Amino acid sequence: MSGQRLLQVKDLEVRFPIREGLIRERTVAEVRAVDGVSFEVAKGEILGLVGESGCGKSTVARAITRVVKPTHGSIEFDGHDLAKAEGEELHALRRRVQMIFQDPYASLNPRMTVGAIIQEPADIYKVGTTAERRARVSELLGLVGLDPRFADRYPHEFSGGQRQRIGVARALALNPDLVVADEPVSALDVSVQAQILNLLAELRQQLGLAYLFIAHDLSVVRHISDRTAVMYLGKIVEVAPSIELNAAPLHPYSIALLSAVPIPDPAIEKKRKRIILKGDVPSPTNPPSGCGFQTRCWLKEKLGNPERCSTESPVLRETSSGHQVACHFPEKA
Amino acid sequence: MTEKSATPVSAGHLLTVSDLTVRFRSHGEAVYAVNGVSFDLDAGETLGVAGESGCGKSVTNLAILGLLPQPAGRVEAGSVQLSGRELTTLREEELRKVRGSEIAMIFQDPMTSLNPVLRIEEQLIETIRAHRDVTVQAARERAIELLVAVGVANPESRLRSYPHEFSGGMRQRVMIAMALALEPRILIADEPTTALDVTIQAQVLDLLRRLTAERGTATILVTHDLGVLAGMADRINVMYAGKVIESGTTEELFAHPRHPYTVGLLRSIPRLDGEAGGKLVPIEGRPPDLVAEPVGCSFYARCAWRQERCALEAPALVQIDGGTQPIVTTGAGATHVAACFNPVAQAEVAEGRPAAGRR
Repeated sequence: MSGQRLLQVKDLEVRFPIREGLIRERTVAEVRAVDGVSFEVAKGEILGLVGESGCGKSTVARAITRVVKPTHGSIEFDGHDLAKAEGEELHALRRRVQMIFQDPYASLNPRMTVGAIIQEPADIYKVGTTAERRARVSELLGLVGLDPRFADRYPHEFSGGQRQRIGVARALALNPDLVVADEPVSALDVSVQAQILNLLAELRQQLGLAYLFIAHDLSVVRHISDRTAVMYLGKIVEVAPSIELNAAPLHPYSIALLSAVPIPDPAIEKKRKRIILKGDVPSPTNPPSGCGFQTRCWLKEKLGNPERCSTESPVLRETSSGHQVACHFPEKA
Repeated sequence: MTEKSATPVSAGHLLTVSDLTVRFRSHGEAVYAVNGVSFDLDAGETLGVAGESGCGKSVTNLAILGLLPQPAGRVEAGSVQLSGRELTTLREEELRKVRGSEIAMIFQDPMTSLNPVLRIEEQLIETIRAHRDVTVQAARERAIELLVAVGVANPESRLRSYPHEFSGGMRQRVMIAMALALEPRILIADEPTTALDVTIQAQVLDLLRRLTAERGTATILVTHDLGVLAGMADRINVMYAGKVIESGTTEELFAHPRHPYTVGLLRSIPRLDGEAGGKLVPIEGRPPDLVAEPVGCSFYARCAWRQERCALEAPALVQIDGGTQPIVTTGAGATHVAACFNPVAQAEVAEGRPAAGRR
């Protein structure tokens, strides 16, 4: 990370209790959705967060936007701790951290006009006069590449890509510092996906926004983000500048993940060596001892199953400037 | 339909689809879902079908299998021949024999294609016994063999499980086992890995590649992911608005795309090995509404290479560089064809837009 720090997440933990019993409810187990995650985002930076289903990436987003309350750890945002903030303080902070959702069909209220949807944040925070709010809606529509006259229409009149633009306009309504985008393009067709990716990149340039960009598609994350963090089973296993992560990944999981991403070039696809991981991701209710990846790790197998992998959880440590990895034997990969 | 010119009547292919036209009718409106699709398929080949939502790629497959939603969907014209036998006019009971044993299908979402209240065992055995005259015991043994083949550990005990007890990747393996149970000659896989994570996708694609190669199964692989096609398909049909707009071998299509839409698809996806942070070239606008009868080229409204002629006249799927060789529709020597009056020049492919002064 370079530049001024905007967000610093430290030892973030989100656990969901599993309860049983109707009358006497008791907690029988816990889902460790996020299990000790630390990272930083600088002003104007795009940090990509990648990982497969259930790795906890969306829960990280929900903790930062305080849709869920973290069970442990801190989320420092411009001198305030988002993890502990309540009431007035939280209300004020939320204004500066906005979210873009995956599903452009489910995230817009079908009974509200586009103008009302985009104006709602300003209504809630009582920003400006009614006339000013209306003018701001037109401005925002223009900013995301839509005709300002669309303000009187309803979401169903728009295509998926246009709806996602409406979602972006709403997220920008209050001039946030940080936008948390959770899979913002994965529901869109490829040609439309490119339009939205270009829009997000332009808006960052124009407005100096920082994004936490969450996606499962590594090609998309590499394209848009300055740095990328890879999550597995509730933990960050590797963080590096995006270009470096792709060129020289160190964690055996990142290596396998990158090798599995298809490249649209038959000549390259023919020559590529894939590391096919065995089995599935373990359950976050009952994570394996030691390293979370050890049950599927090809490197552990190659090294003759060193005991350390199953006894000691590797910490995220810096191997070179800006490149951190959580593996006992990254140099062997 | 003019598309026919690209696919001369040729005997001897495993599957021949010609001029297939499908409409959906409801409330007095017609949706022009598939508008004259023709292609051939031989044993052992993998034909990739690329295109975005609503381009007709799934409807084409449903029509082949006689599974169009009734009563709205109808094959209005064209034919589907399996080893010379016409499928579009077959009666339902005859078609049922074809499905599964001759042509099997894998869907995107295994959870909606498996019966949630039946154990895997019952579903596999039922599939086998519906088509083969074997005892329950023999069918059960076959089911275990199949689960082993698709890499399900502890097949005996897994047979007793219900679909919800499997992970997404495992469910898709069970679907593949079921599809291959009767050793079909053609496997249609419609977005088989779209719902899966990338490491699981790699496992499933690996499995499909291995199984179809071992058995010489012909495969139609439908996906919006050009990366998956690059690694899996021998040939590719690119579809847009219910038509095949470009077709050729995978190498040829990626190296020398000629249709502006194909070029658009290739330029709009970020690549893991591409230049980071570069600007993507999106295709402006959105696909046409298929409610209107198509006039002219259906890509006209979004095309940067369009000419006046394109608005009025639909281009036929032809050899672009005016080759005089007879058109080959299958195999490694398949002819590269595209439906475009003003095809993209090789020098324009990298930029994804027409060279200055060309329009």
